[in-house]
Amino acid sequence: MDPTTEALINLGLPLLLLVATYFTGSAVERRHYRSIRAREFESRQLPAITFRTLPRRWEVVGSGLVSGSVVISVDYFKRFLAGLRQFVGGRVKSYETILDRARREAVLRLKEEAAAAGYAAVINVRLETARMANGRNGSGIAGLEVLAYGTGIKLRHGAP
Amino acid sequence: MKFDPTLPDDSANVSATHPLREAATLIVGIAVAAALVFVAIAAMVELLIPHISPALEARIFSRSEVVAALLPDMEESLDSRTAAVDGLLDRLADHWPDNPYMLRVAIIDDATPNAFAFPGGLVAVTTGLLSEIASDNELAFVLAHEIGHFRNRDHLRGLGRGLAFGVVVGVFGVGGSAGAAELAGAAGWFAAAGFSRDQENAADDFALALVQAEYGHVGGAVNFFERLPKPDNAIEREIEGYLSTHPLSAERIDAMLALVHERGWRSDGPLTPLSAALEAPAPGG
Repeated sequence: MDPTTEALINLGLPLLLLVATYFTGSAVERRHYRSIRAREFESRQLPAITFRTLPRRWEVVGSGLVSGSVVISVDYFKRFLAGLRQFVGGRVKSYETILDRARREAVLRLKEEAAAAGYAAVINVRLETARMANGRNGSGIAGLEVLAYGTGIKLRHGAP
Repeated sequence: MKFDPTLPDDSANVSATHPLREAATLIVGIAVAAALVFVAIAAMVELLIPHISPALEARIFSRSEVVAALLPDMEESLDSRTAAVDGLLDRLADHWPDNPYMLRVAIIDDATPNAFAFPGGLVAVTTGLLSEIASDNELAFVLAHEIGHFRNRDHLRGLGRGLAFGVVVGVFGVGGSAGAAELAGAAGWFAAAGFSRDQENAADDFALALVQAEYGHVGGAVNFFERLPKPDNAIEREIEGYLSTHPLSAERIDAMLALVHERGWRSDGPLTPLSAALEAPAPGG
């Protein structure tokens, strides 16, 4: 292969990948946000709160651990933007939506698990974040995990 | 306690900047920074050149690993063709009175007609060039042109630009993939090989003087350029070896003709035929 073809491939392929992943990434993100907003609206009556103690009026008849977790991957375009960011510093804006989506999705799954188990509320909700590497030496980001967990509460009167 | 069902705030944790806008800002900003670094390194090399004597240059660049890094495709064997080109190079260099270089010849196995001046006094010609030339005079002009680059120390400037390019790509190259490294290498070569029009004209000037001193006329020098196959379109012209590293503008040929006229040199003398070693078909191709 002559050097010009090689240079074209070396330069053109990443460029093509950037354009393609910008469109696929945005489409996936838009759809995810639509789903998040709709489910947040549906589940708004089930409280997932950070109190460590129970409100005094609640008459608890049962409790248990509930959790929700999600792994979301960054796309090629977002990683490219974050890579450029490394030179100049500042907010890595391309990763902000990833974290935002992961946090909200994890809480939604926690609520869905709680509702399925018949809990009326979840208290002491906590969020944990973990980075999943795809290299053996811990390099590269395969995805980002957010875990939401808390204590599901069953109440005598059904709802708080 | 009363529970107030609220929905999460959509905007607090996510910046409003559009990703494409951010990409544009970052790319433009970093490109400007990279260009500044490139210019700064190239300028530093320019300042250093007068302090690098040809002797020091030869000490640095005669090391075999340096030559191997620059010329991976170089033919190792000292065959009869190398000896023939070397002999002509020596005869031409004899007309440069205070030549500080130990000039050597290397033949690169590449079909594109091209010639390069490498630091340390190494003149590289491609097998494509050897199959293209028709007389000793033509080859003499190409070799003398490269000697002209040595005299004007253009080869160091070219290498400095290549080095600066390599540094910039190494530091700013995003991703760090093998492809990027290869691209950097190829582009560094191009950067190292491309000289400005002024540098080419100065080298032509010197080359014509050497050819005149050797043969008593400059016939064969300009005709060679006119005989070279012309690329069909702009992109091909961009990538075609000799024509891109030695831009073959009409102005350049005009400048040579004007010079020949001004010095009163003859351009129609008898051409010396190629030596037998160069006339033979290239081994293996």
